[in-house]
Amino acid sequence: MSEAISSARPSGAALYWAVQLRRNRGVRVLFGVDALLLIAYAFLFPGLLTLSGFAKFTQSWFPLALVAMSQAVLMLAGGISLAIGASVSLGAVIAATTMAGPFGVVGGTAVVVLSGLVIGAATGGIVVKLRLPAIVVTLAGSFIIGGAALLVLPRPGGAIPAWLSDLLAGNLPVAFGLLVVIALLWKLYLATPLGLSLYAAGENPVGAFRSGVSVDAARIAAFAISGVLAALAGLFVAAQTGSGDPLIGQAFTLNSIAAAVLGGIGFLGGRGTMRGALAGSLLLSVMINVMFFLGFTPVAQYIAQGLIIIGAVAIPQIRERLA
Amino acid sequence: MSATAALRVKSIVTSRPFLTVLVVAIVWIGASFASRGFGAYGHLRYIVELAAVIGLVAAGQTFVVIAGGIDLSVGAIVTVSAVGLPLLSMDADPTGVSAIVIILACTTAIGFVNGVGVAWLRVHPMIMTLAMATFLQGLLIIIAGGSAVSAHNPLVAWLGNARPLGIPAGIWMWLVVSVGALYILHATPFGARLFALGANPVATQLSGVDVPATTMAVYAISGLLSGLAGVLALGMNGQGYVGIGDPYLLASIAAVVLGGTSILGGSGTYAGTIPGAVLLVTITALITVVNASPGWRSILFGSLILILLLLSGREAARR
Repeated sequence: MSEAISSARPSGAALYWAVQLRRNRGVRVLFGVDALLLIAYAFLFPGLLTLSGFAKFTQSWFPLALVAMSQAVLMLAGGISLAIGASVSLGAVIAATTMAGPFGVVGGTAVVVLSGLVIGAATGGIVVKLRLPAIVVTLAGSFIIGGAALLVLPRPGGAIPAWLSDLLAGNLPVAFGLLVVIALLWKLYLATPLGLSLYAAGENPVGAFRSGVSVDAARIAAFAISGVLAALAGLFVAAQTGSGDPLIGQAFTLNSIAAAVLGGIGFLGGRGTMRGALAGSLLLSVMINVMFFLGFTPVAQYIAQGLIIIGAVAIPQIRERLA
Repeated sequence: MSATAALRVKSIVTSRPFLTVLVVAIVWIGASFASRGFGAYGHLRYIVELAAVIGLVAAGQTFVVIAGGIDLSVGAIVTVSAVGLPLLSMDADPTGVSAIVIILACTTAIGFVNGVGVAWLRVHPMIMTLAMATFLQGLLIIIAGGSAVSAHNPLVAWLGNARPLGIPAGIWMWLVVSVGALYILHATPFGARLFALGANPVATQLSGVDVPATTMAVYAISGLLSGLAGVLALGMNGQGYVGIGDPYLLASIAAVVLGGTSILGGSGTYAGTIPGAVLLVTITALITVVNASPGWRSILFGSLILILLLLSGREAARR
């Protein structure tokens, strides 16, 4: 009897892949567009297919990918952050001021990660425990975090050890390897009880709460992870330029939201996948590169970027309505 | 009879607009004791005059937020207005009215396009208005080329400098807009539709409200008022430059939230946004008095907004 039931159900693995296939449905078009743009880019710039060319390209994508993930974690849990740019700046200046000091690269990285974790968890605590709207708290937070970055380093300066810059932003695709590792860690996190509650907390907080899910813990953890990812993006940007700049992160706030939404992450929480957010950030990154190679002026890039973002978000909506 | 009167008094005293006014009064009195010049009539008038620009932007933002959206392009629209207007001045029109009318029509049209994106293309308001801001930034670099432009428009100069009855023209303008905004929000069917739309868009649609038209009108109003704020900012500054409107984006959202309007839409009033705008300028003035470094100034500003939020903007508990 029990055998009959178990044979009627799909096996665990089959179920898993069926769910994954369903989840990919929304971002199939995005993956296709990404692939087409990458092919176009490889035609314009054949150097992309060499090891160093691939390394350079993934390095220009890496910080955007990290902030997209940082924003996506929050949006999946039903939050949003307007402080990501400021957190990137803070991560960059902390890296540039600590790594040349007595603690070295390991100590500096630890300080960066810890600051991101503490700031993220504190923001999450304020939003969740004090029941304040995330968008306004992170708006105020962007002033506080940005101010802290200015206190750490009032003007561009500091230093990143040359060997670290060479390792992360040199001719080997180390950054891409790191991205793969981070994506795998994300998969692992989703398999933990805390990670599992993330989607539930974002999709239907009241229902999840009544089913015994620790919604508050899931959301605070999401803020903490988001803080760490943003701070790491700052560390990488500092390594790229070799020094710290207290204002370097500003553009990342809007780009992180754009990438996450392009990747199909819903504003209301619980909708979307991290691979979608990564694909969204890849689209933005390739787009900027391709437009540069086609000789667009920066002004035209702004305008094209605005139009493409609206188009990418609007077209699925329109198609859905026509269907 | 007296019981209902007491109830009414209680509801007014505990209302958000009243509490925000109270906070402003307390901060003003406290600051006057701490810093001699702060409480002088001229200084307080100057604070309110500065608040007028934020108040105008925040009026449009209040409409949008109550209707359940958000407008992140207001800063860019203020810049478009302040930079574009000087370029439109024509010798054939010595009063300068035509340039103002044209630029306001342009900013209203920009807001309308935002509304079309939100209502028809169903782009999330945050993405639509962000993309619009990006778009306008590119456009501004083309038309202004990065240099500051001076206004030679008599009406704009008058708005920035004149003081009919001893009160700056900008404050008069804010007063008129405030009365209009309060009337539209609380005494017209259109205002009632905004609250309904913010509270429950599906039910509003099913009740026969033309939701797309209402949404487009709301964003067009936001564009118009941001354009008006740009004209006033141009008058007070004497010249427009790329980035002149940037501070007003965050200030407008903060003023709306400090005034007790729910960022999720459906409830609130412009009556709270008015003292909210004054409060923000007061905070900035206080921080200037302290003479702190830019880093500390930024931290103070953020912390004070957070503290004020704690006093006001809490969401309902999950049950």
